[in-house]
Amino acid sequence: MSSIIEVTNVSFGYFPQGSILQDVSFDVKAGTFLSIAGPNGAGKTTLLNLLCGLLRPQAGSIMIEAARIQSYSPRRLAQKIAVVRQEFVPVFDFTVAEVVSMARTPYLGTFGFDGKIDREAVSQALEATDTAQFAMRPMKNLSGGERQRVFIARALAQNTVIMLLDEPTSFLDLKHQVHIYDLLKAAQLEKGKTIVAITHDINLAAQYCDEILLLTGRRPAKQRPGNDTENPASYFIGKAKDIFSPAQIEDVFGVRVFTGKVGNENFFIPLGRLAKDSGQANSS
Amino acid sequence: MNKLWWLLLTIVCLAGAGFLILKIFPDQRPNAAAPATAVNRIVSLAPNLTEILFALGLGEKVVAVSSDSDYPPEAANKNKVGTFWQPNTEAIIASKANLVITECFEQQKSVAVTLHRLGYRVLPLKIESIEAMLTAIKDIGDATGTQNRADKLDEDITNRLDNLRSKLAARNKVKVLWVVQTEPLRVAGTNTFLNELLELVGGENAIGPTIQQYPPLGTEELLACGAQAIIQSAMGVDNIPEQQQAAEKFWGRWPTLPAVRNNRIYVIDPDTTLRLGPRLCQGLDLVAHCLHPDMDGHE
Amino acid sequence: MTQVLTAKSLGIRITLCLAALAVVMCLCALMGSQKVSLRKVLTGPGSSPGENIDYEILVGIRLPRVILAALVGAALACSGVVLQAILRNPLADPYILGISSGAGLGAIAAVLSGATWSFWGGSPIAAFAFAGAIVTVWLVWLIGRAAGKSQITNLLLAGVVINAFLSAVIMFLTSIARSDQVHSTIFWLMGNITEKGPSALGVSAGCILAGTVGLFGVSHRLNILSLGEQEAKSLGVDTAKTQIVAFALAAFITAIAVSLSGLVGFVGLVVPHGVRLVCGPDHRHLLPISAIIGGAFLVAADTLARIIVAPAQLPVGVITAIAGGPFFLVLLARHSRKISWLK
Repeated sequence: MSSIIEVTNVSFGYFPQGSILQDVSFDVKAGTFLSIAGPNGAGKTTLLNLLCGLLRPQAGSIMIEAARIQSYSPRRLAQKIAVVRQEFVPVFDFTVAEVVSMARTPYLGTFGFDGKIDREAVSQALEATDTAQFAMRPMKNLSGGERQRVFIARALAQNTVIMLLDEPTSFLDLKHQVHIYDLLKAAQLEKGKTIVAITHDINLAAQYCDEILLLTGRRPAKQRPGNDTENPASYFIGKAKDIFSPAQIEDVFGVRVFTGKVGNENFFIPLGRLAKDSGQANSS
Repeated sequence: MNKLWWLLLTIVCLAGAGFLILKIFPDQRPNAAAPATAVNRIVSLAPNLTEILFALGLGEKVVAVSSDSDYPPEAANKNKVGTFWQPNTEAIIASKANLVITECFEQQKSVAVTLHRLGYRVLPLKIESIEAMLTAIKDIGDATGTQNRADKLDEDITNRLDNLRSKLAARNKVKVLWVVQTEPLRVAGTNTFLNELLELVGGENAIGPTIQQYPPLGTEELLACGAQAIIQSAMGVDNIPEQQQAAEKFWGRWPTLPAVRNNRIYVIDPDTTLRLGPRLCQGLDLVAHCLHPDMDGHE
Repeated sequence: MTQVLTAKSLGIRITLCLAALAVVMCLCALMGSQKVSLRKVLTGPGSSPGENIDYEILVGIRLPRVILAALVGAALACSGVVLQAILRNPLADPYILGISSGAGLGAIAAVLSGATWSFWGGSPIAAFAFAGAIVTVWLVWLIGRAAGKSQITNLLLAGVVINAFLSAVIMFLTSIARSDQVHSTIFWLMGNITEKGPSALGVSAGCILAGTVGLFGVSHRLNILSLGEQEAKSLGVDTAKTQIVAFALAAFITAIAVSLSGLVGFVGLVVPHGVRLVCGPDHRHLLPISAIIGGAFLVAADTLARIIVAPAQLPVGVITAIAGGPFFLVLLARHSRKISWLK
């Protein structure tokens, strides 16, 4: 399988002296599901913005389908990558159908009149995300979770090979959390899409994704000559069972976890100090 | 980027096409110097122009005037074509004029341009000084074929002005403060027409040159100016006696001013009294008498 | 309220609106302080002025006025739509980024300088006002860009600051001007539709039409742009180029409108809102229909301004403010009921 996204030695910082990401390299194989996890401030959203071309790396390169990301025009890039961010209410009163139709922009002419293919893509996306029932409703009349599904529908209608998502299930109820991940997994398996999703829910991530990219948020210390201290790693990438171990989670996230097993998979429940049964649970 | 160039090209082409089309049907351009053939329907858009027309004996031929043309009384009965500030072009056309006399400020200028474009004979006059008024009278005379009467009127006015000047030449100039507004206190500066009139009637402006034409005056400058007489522009002619009383009360605050001490406060309506028309001399005479009450005693 | 937008349905709507505009224009041309008989008009112009006054009044005075009002109304409404989209702010109007004070400064400079003008030529106030508007908007744009990342906020702030500064200069100049100059300036600032010559009218019509068509080409991308800069970029829209093109065209047609008629307020703010309440926020609809309705609105307002206190005239800006406000409130109340009450 070829790599559809290649990140090589990428560094980025928002201020001249700051650096959120330093020397990050990884590949995403086509048709796989990558989950990006890590504590707040580790640079997950920054990495996502780098991957979709919104930010420019200060060092290193990013290749999409073996071509430098800078070589793509915004339109061609939008035909390759769809992004789902936090939901919001648009300033103007657009309806659900109108917002999802905007996904077809990279394929439309100047005046933006859509054709049959575009309408097909939109209605399929609405069906898949269970939002067809409020196609004619203005976005501001929906709940946060419903809007999130609409934005995912929009990304689906955009019909791209890569989908980048920033916490796609943060506002959804349990049923829809699973529904969305099933959807994304189906898109990956049936349509061969490459999915990169930032998620806070490490269990869901472990269940659905092929690989995890764990950003630790630690900056490698400056090398001093003659100093042999080991640099803390700023990221790990690998299969879920390799990355997620109780020790690793506690170390990176700074929280105790209770580990359980379901079949072959581990699951982790964070243990707060005052949570019920926290004294009885034992971390194994 | 291509689309932008197309857009620019479209604009240029449309503009060019517009010009070309208009070249084929040019704006009507009747010669402005058309002979004074049968000028028997005149419209005047300013009160002073109306007065001049009547003074030249053209009262019968005036068919419409601006709404503030109130002198002579016959003028007040003529058809009205809008106000001085906003003439009504449609009404002017409806009066079928063959000569329209206008002022030269923006609003009347544009009316004049429109009428000219429609083929009407328009005479725009800029009357902002006595000099200009005399020239304007001549122009009106030329346009209406009453040159003799115009020359005579000019001569008459000039003589009376000279008369006035000579009467007052030897006297001491009276320091005058010409107040155009009381709240805030604003006076006519040295660069105004009112100042020109003041100097004609043996007065001098109590304040020196200022950057503004009608500078606001603070109390300090007011007390320092030492005005011997105060002339206050009235607001409308309806209640001059009441305005006079109010003015005297207003100025009573500063009894140190010579003008107030000697109760030489005069409320005058410059629009009617000092209109730049044939009655200017009368108005100047009135003001001169205010400033120099004993001026006739020397005759 | 929302249907599937196709090129055909848009074409039908635009045609209907244009027909309505034509009807409004014709009716308004027949109304005025003088009675005009259509039959006499149709007999053609007289051989000398004063012969067929009905023709002269209708074709020489009213028609240019009605056309001008339609053009200015269209330009202002169209520009209002675009600025509301770019600034993502439904309260934006065409004057928000300095055009009003720039044009006002140009106008008062022209009045004060007593610029030489040929009697039969165009008015120097228009040229100065146009130049003032363009230069000011360009300045605001530069400041907005220079100030960094959050361009929208910076644009708005730059616009407010420049407006305030230039207004101060205008105030100063007004204070040293003569009374007739002051009157002329204030009159111009209130917004007036006057009779313009065919050359000025032709050029302006060309420019405003070209600008409006250009903006229509950008209207789909305005939809996307209104979602936010990041979202638009992710959907493949070149946000910088779209903003520049839309802004430049909107500023251009506004500057032309303002140079012709002074600062007519309310049209650029209220008409887009009203049309949006009826037609929805899709800019492919909103833009052309707002332009047409804006034109019709101003034609009607100007006719009222001509008739109400005949033979004097009110500045058209007075009518647009008095009429626009309550009209908008009614529209808002009526349509808000159809939308379910929300957070």
